[in-house]
Amino acid sequence: MELLVNNIKKCYAKVTAIKELSFKVKQGEIFALLGPNGAGKSSLVRMLTGFTSPDSGEISLTIDGEKHTSIPSYTLGYLPEDRGLYPEKTVSKNLLYFAQLNGVDKKTALQQAKYWLERFDLLDRIDDQLKTLSKGNQQKVQLITAVIHQPKWVILDEPFSGLDPINQEKVVIFLSELKAQGMTVILSAHQMAMVEKLADRMLLMNLGEAVLYGSLEEIQQQVGSTTQLTAQFAESIASDQLEQLFSEADYCLVDHKTLSLNLSAQQSINGALSKITALGNLTSLHSKKMDLHQLYLNAIANHGALINE
Amino acid sequence: MNKINKKQQVWLVTSWEFMHFFKWKQEIISKLILLAIGLIIMLWQYVKDDQLTIYTVAVPASITQFQNSGQFEFFPSHESFDILKQQLAEEDGWDAILSEAPAIESVKQLTIYSKDKQSWLRDLKQTLSQQYTLDYASSLGLAEEQLAVLNQAAIFENKYLDDTIKSESSPGKSTAIAMLVILAVGIFTSFGQLFVSITGEKQQRVTEQLYACMSPQTWIDGKIFGQMLHAIKAMLTMIIFAMLVYAFTTVVIENQMVDFSFIDWSLLPWLIPFAISGVYLCTAFMAAIAAAIDDPNHSAKTSIMLLPLLPMILALITMDSPSGWALSFLSYFPLTAFAAMPVKMALIDLPLWQPLLSLSLTLVVCFWMRTSAGNLFKMGMSMYGKEPSLKDMVMSMLRKN
Repeated sequence: MELLVNNIKKCYAKVTAIKELSFKVKQGEIFALLGPNGAGKSSLVRMLTGFTSPDSGEISLTIDGEKHTSIPSYTLGYLPEDRGLYPEKTVSKNLLYFAQLNGVDKKTALQQAKYWLERFDLLDRIDDQLKTLSKGNQQKVQLITAVIHQPKWVILDEPFSGLDPINQEKVVIFLSELKAQGMTVILSAHQMAMVEKLADRMLLMNLGEAVLYGSLEEIQQQVGSTTQLTAQFAESIASDQLEQLFSEADYCLVDHKTLSLNLSAQQSINGALSKITALGNLTSLHSKKMDLHQLYLNAIANHGALINE
Repeated sequence: MNKINKKQQVWLVTSWEFMHFFKWKQEIISKLILLAIGLIIMLWQYVKDDQLTIYTVAVPASITQFQNSGQFEFFPSHESFDILKQQLAEEDGWDAILSEAPAIESVKQLTIYSKDKQSWLRDLKQTLSQQYTLDYASSLGLAEEQLAVLNQAAIFENKYLDDTIKSESSPGKSTAIAMLVILAVGIFTSFGQLFVSITGEKQQRVTEQLYACMSPQTWIDGKIFGQMLHAIKAMLTMIIFAMLVYAFTTVVIENQMVDFSFIDWSLLPWLIPFAISGVYLCTAFMAAIAAAIDDPNHSAKTSIMLLPLLPMILALITMDSPSGWALSFLSYFPLTAFAAMPVKMALIDLPLWQPLLSLSLTLVVCFWMRTSAGNLFKMGMSMYGKEPSLKDMVMSMLRKN
């Protein structure tokens, strides 16, 4: 059971939200949709949920031999970007209503509600009106709403937004548990550290196009830069020397004494080191694997530059 | 995987919608008040039948003496007026005393004194007036029958070549007006609550979460049914309240028996389906408009939601010519038939096929309206924050689902 997205395109009036996009989501994985604001993530999510349809191309998901053009509602758990519940109603009434709408009987729904509320330290607020909860706690109730009926497919549009770091960690554990329960999770997020921890595979989008796609390792290979060196010098670095030694795309001056250098898998640290020492008296040198955050920034910058050309 | 069918979802939305506006405390209090009014009326009737109060009236000897009636006993008195007034003030004294001033142009000038303002004083005046009229007629040598002729020398009745028009003494007109008023109450209830409910959910951003669970049509169907139930509840409450007020006025204030013969009860089997389909149609229309409103504070479409009151107003205006072309047209025009046909039926006798055809047309347009409401909601959802124009809305309503 794979979700296949093949060459889809979507336009709203004069705006092209999605330009020829193809990818697949495997059953049981956590798949992340990444991209800056306006990249087309929400438009894509709305097509996956069946709220809108692609202008061209195809989305297909086969369940029990039946082919669907989006994730059918009876198997979907959804946390929309534009979210809200009934603030005047209690937490339990909100949760039970949505669980029942998704076909869960009242007794099971209450058990599920209690289970998840306890996981989020909210069980004692079960009979409180939703509006009396903090924004972060309301967000957690909304997350529970998306999964209370134990769907096979879960789409979470920015699940970390509005949460403090402690609660973000709780959501990471929550998502891992969903995966462990066999749910397939598609999440859209801006918190790269969280995505790096969680996602099995990801799709990086920009301006409606796929920029990077695959697991973190596959993406690192696609980018070609896997190591980041940070060198600090005693004196200011001469920029003319820098340009002679490195290509512009590979380096970045953090300040006049600090240089950040991206190395591809093919480039050795020793080779780079000999060039770095030629720039002046080195005071410190750090090396680290390039994280998703850096990969994301580089990829978006490169894609933007490409489009502008 | 949990599969739930649409009917179950519609029922869940309906009950959620109904209970959202149903406040147990408020309902219990209002129904207890109605019950109390009903009990007061029953008790009043019982007490009144059991203990008929007789009022004593002192009449100075100089005034014409009156015959006792069931409610009043008249006592001639030779006491001075001041003593009579003192006796009136006493606990066990007179209930009323009379005094007479000189007549003006043969018209007697009488004053009735009592301890305070009482409802039976009106009956006393009526009794005295009748006796004076009879006395005067007698002084003119007129018999009671002649006096009756003087009071009403001719009786008029209208007869029409169109023999389907019901007799003026039939309760048709009051039935028709009552139905229109009750329909308006139901539609006003739906208008207020539906507007708050649909635009409120949009403002609270619940709609996308709901959309993930069910189709727009399922959601809108539940909304319509939930609000329709509220409208019916409001209409029933209004009927009970109006009947109680009428009974209270008749029994307690006017001391008469309750008589609901001003309503043509034989129309009830027709009034119910027309009223229910009318409320459904109007609720579906208002749901369609509300579904297209994104921001209730800045939308110009709110006023369109008042259009469902138009059929009632038109039926009221045209009811004076029940066999005229206007009411006939409105009785078959699907958007107004629910209000116009019952009015026509109340005023003239119709063959069975006419109300049947009218009701069938109404049901067809009900189905079209709920589908249109679903389409409009779906369109509104896909426009993300933008409101569809009136042209877009009309196109969507005309489009096949």
